[in-house]
Amino acid sequence: MDTFAALAQGLSVALQPMNLLFAFVGVMLGTAVGVLPGIGPALTVALLLPITFKLDPAGSLIMFAGIYYGGMYGGSTASILLNTPGESSSIVTALEGNKMARAGRGGPALATAAIGSFVAGTIATVGLALIAPTVVDIAISFGPEDYFALMVLAFTTVSAAFGSSVTRGLTSLFIGLSLGLIGIDLQSGQARLSFGIPDLLDGVEVTTLAVALFAIGETLSVVAAGARAEEVIEPVKGSVFMNKEDWKRSWKPWLRGTFLGFPIGAMPAGGAEIPTFLSYALEKRLCRKPDEFGNGAIEGVAGPEAANNAAAAGVLVPLLTLGLPTSATAAIMLAGFQQYGLNPGPLLFASAPDLVWGLIASLFIANVMLLVLNLPLVGLWVRLLAIPRPWLYGGILVFATLGTLGANPSLVELGMLLIFGLLGYVLRRYDYPIAPVVVGLILGPLSEQQLRRALAISVGDPLVLFQSPIAVTLYALAALALLGPLLFYLLTGRKAPVGGDED
Amino acid sequence: MKHIFRGALLAAALAAPLGAASAQVTDLKIMAPAAPGGGWDQTARSMQHVLQSDKIVGNVQVLNVPGAGGTIGLAQFVNGSKGDPNALIVGGYVMVGAIITNKSPVNLSMVTPIARLTGEFEAIAVPANSPLKSMADLVAALKADPQKVSWAGGSAGGTDHITAGLIAKAIGVDPTKINYIAFSGGGESLASILGGKVTVGISSLSEYDAQAKAGKLRILGVSSPTRLPDAKDIPTFKESGVDVEIQNWRMVAAAPGITPEQKKTLAEAVDKMVKSKAWTDMLAQKGWANTYLAGDAFDAQLAKDITSTQAILKDIGLAQ
Amino acid sequence: MSDTPISSTKGPDKARFVIAFGLAILAFVVGWDAWRLSSVNSFSAVGPAAFPTIIAAGLALLSIATAIEAIGEGAQERPRDEIGPMAWVLAGLIGQIVLLPFLGFSIATGWLFAATAKGFGRGPLWAHFLAGAVLCFVIYVIFAKGLQLALPAGPLERLI
Repeated sequence: MDTFAALAQGLSVALQPMNLLFAFVGVMLGTAVGVLPGIGPALTVALLLPITFKLDPAGSLIMFAGIYYGGMYGGSTASILLNTPGESSSIVTALEGNKMARAGRGGPALATAAIGSFVAGTIATVGLALIAPTVVDIAISFGPEDYFALMVLAFTTVSAAFGSSVTRGLTSLFIGLSLGLIGIDLQSGQARLSFGIPDLLDGVEVTTLAVALFAIGETLSVVAAGARAEEVIEPVKGSVFMNKEDWKRSWKPWLRGTFLGFPIGAMPAGGAEIPTFLSYALEKRLCRKPDEFGNGAIEGVAGPEAANNAAAAGVLVPLLTLGLPTSATAAIMLAGFQQYGLNPGPLLFASAPDLVWGLIASLFIANVMLLVLNLPLVGLWVRLLAIPRPWLYGGILVFATLGTLGANPSLVELGMLLIFGLLGYVLRRYDYPIAPVVVGLILGPLSEQQLRRALAISVGDPLVLFQSPIAVTLYALAALALLGPLLFYLLTGRKAPVGGDED
Repeated sequence: MKHIFRGALLAAALAAPLGAASAQVTDLKIMAPAAPGGGWDQTARSMQHVLQSDKIVGNVQVLNVPGAGGTIGLAQFVNGSKGDPNALIVGGYVMVGAIITNKSPVNLSMVTPIARLTGEFEAIAVPANSPLKSMADLVAALKADPQKVSWAGGSAGGTDHITAGLIAKAIGVDPTKINYIAFSGGGESLASILGGKVTVGISSLSEYDAQAKAGKLRILGVSSPTRLPDAKDIPTFKESGVDVEIQNWRMVAAAPGITPEQKKTLAEAVDKMVKSKAWTDMLAQKGWANTYLAGDAFDAQLAKDITSTQAILKDIGLAQ
Repeated sequence: MSDTPISSTKGPDKARFVIAFGLAILAFVVGWDAWRLSSVNSFSAVGPAAFPTIIAAGLALLSIATAIEAIGEGAQERPRDEIGPMAWVLAGLIGQIVLLPFLGFSIATGWLFAATAKGFGRGPLWAHFLAGAVLCFVIYVIFAKGLQLALPAGPLERLI
């Protein structure tokens, strides 16, 4: 039981008062920047690296862990309360979370996000400590053809869960796919749909699009509705905290989200967004009250939130076991390791066990701290919604533009916020769902690149796509997701419990 | 603090009309044409740290202008800092390629290069169980069928792709025939090499170092002119009979239209920085190699790099 | 919010026709860009033009489907949107873009705050502008000193 001894040793380091203080500073900073769209944990850790160099390795790694988990947390708070997703992995949370907040159920939404993140973070961190080497072997065996199959699965499950009108859902998706084409094509180096504007060469930033569509589009449609939409936002209706039914509806999504998030996060090209999409689609499918989806279903917050936190821990699997940085934050953490003369790589566990276990232990501490700090704050947070609308929406716009400007002080970026904001308004006005646009922007480029990589490696032989058992399994799941409702209908003679209006 | 700062501003204002009477830079703005966290940003922030802590420059600010391989920042710098003796921009070899492939309206002849600061060399790696044991094996495989050799590296037209193209050209294989597969992040491409999905990987040596030490990767060669001091067992491309030498360097440049005196003042400040202990420590901590080159020697090297890059990008079909 | 009262009357839905037209234009632009790229020599089986071509075809089909729906479903009554308040919010966003390079983050974003509040029916403009600018100035200082991130500076920001 070396693992537990090592972990206990790590915990004893992390529990020293000074290190607890670092953890506290870390989670506070992380939450603060996580709330800002565009400014994420990667950027914060990068900016703090020179400062933390003065601290001892344990202290600064503990602070990084706090920032990392805090950032994920802040992202969901902003999504739920303000409808401005702070991180791309908390976009899905905004769908149901903000609807809940507007219906006076912001408290339970924040609580299920907090506890779900805690549960997922804890399980995933245990996974990181115990089964990382096994997980990484499987994750590494994923080739481009398998990733492409995973994208196909994501596309089918997500589109099966979007809205009532197929035409409108697909229209939104294709607008997103078109936006995803903008910029330099990675494989050929050719600029696409850039019209000679240098600022477009890097493509459309996911957070920029999400913030514009969600926050700015929303502001425009509310202001345009004027007196007509004099809907009163009730900060609290019923209990601030989760009631018995909320618990009952949350715990399974937490676990399912965790088991989607951790392995996909551990894959070198998995990311944290895809598990949130899959979790949302899965919960919508399994929910007993599918018509609540789109109007604030707690499962739609609990699942994706657990998924993105588990994915955040999953990203550390290849980093700690192989030294592979598979996300921006992981790359920066790697730079942090290097500061202390550590060579991250397959030998890290052997060469610096105290630091690795210290980091894992501080992830636990950060997790507990976030829960303890945030649950009492839920009541305070939801009061934000009691701010009179002129100031609330004024603040949301300041906030949305601030995050964008902080990450990239460019007028073109602000111009994109405005144009996509108008797009969001038009889509809302004519009852087009918003989320598929963002899904298209995220999944489109990923699936294209993976498909082209697979075909380049096979020198153009399309059969390679169906030769891997992983890929075939994923295609089978995709077919099930697409044809499942039909089979259900054929077998039982009644309509599958799927559907319900979205947005 | 504030008083000192105001004093510095005042001193700068007084010093400017006198034609830089004192050879001391008091206030400096360094543009990092990249997002915080990347290589250029870290270079700029390391400079900021050393210049301030060693009191070479009173106050240093870093400004991030990310986008399009640094060409957006470069355009803003060229247009916005004309004649400003207190402005610097960080850049690198990647920018040379990006200017060509992006058909950027501004280029490096429009700024005043000061010095090359650091550099990294490119390496080729294969999984430990690969049948390719040496550069000679790779050359043979490429000559047999270039399509069958898949290369994992960074974005198309970047340093990795350019190096692969140069290697093909040097051994007489059509550079447009190489099967180059671009990955967006180091982790993802490394995973594809370790997983045996591609034949070889090409990237900077530091990316493969840890894996090679752990025995999971074998490094076939490196693009340095001579063997590297801390990697003595890795042969260079040249000694394996592949005449390719390339360095992925980072540099610092000043604004266009500054006077020779102003350039000299800045060059002296940079020189002082590079020779300081704090800088040496910083490089060691970041694992960057000091490839400092200033003055006419750097100008000549830069011109050479631009011409050769233009040629190879044309050969691999990414530039006209 | 989506409880829009929908009642169909005679004749096609004009708004959906406009959307169908917009989709057709988008399909054309994406398709044209793909056609331009298809001439680029590519070393792999699937070049940079393949995906754009598929997406353009999809958009074209969706444009036709939308037009058919517009005829099938008939014109829909949608509640009238208020142009005035919306113009204020848009003026806030556009104003911020225009002012930012000259007057810096605090003033430009202060204007955004004031104009948005005005759009939601809360004045006076100048008081909200002052409050917004002060708030944004504080944010600027926190970013510059705490995070070492430089937001666009103007006359106000140069004072520190």
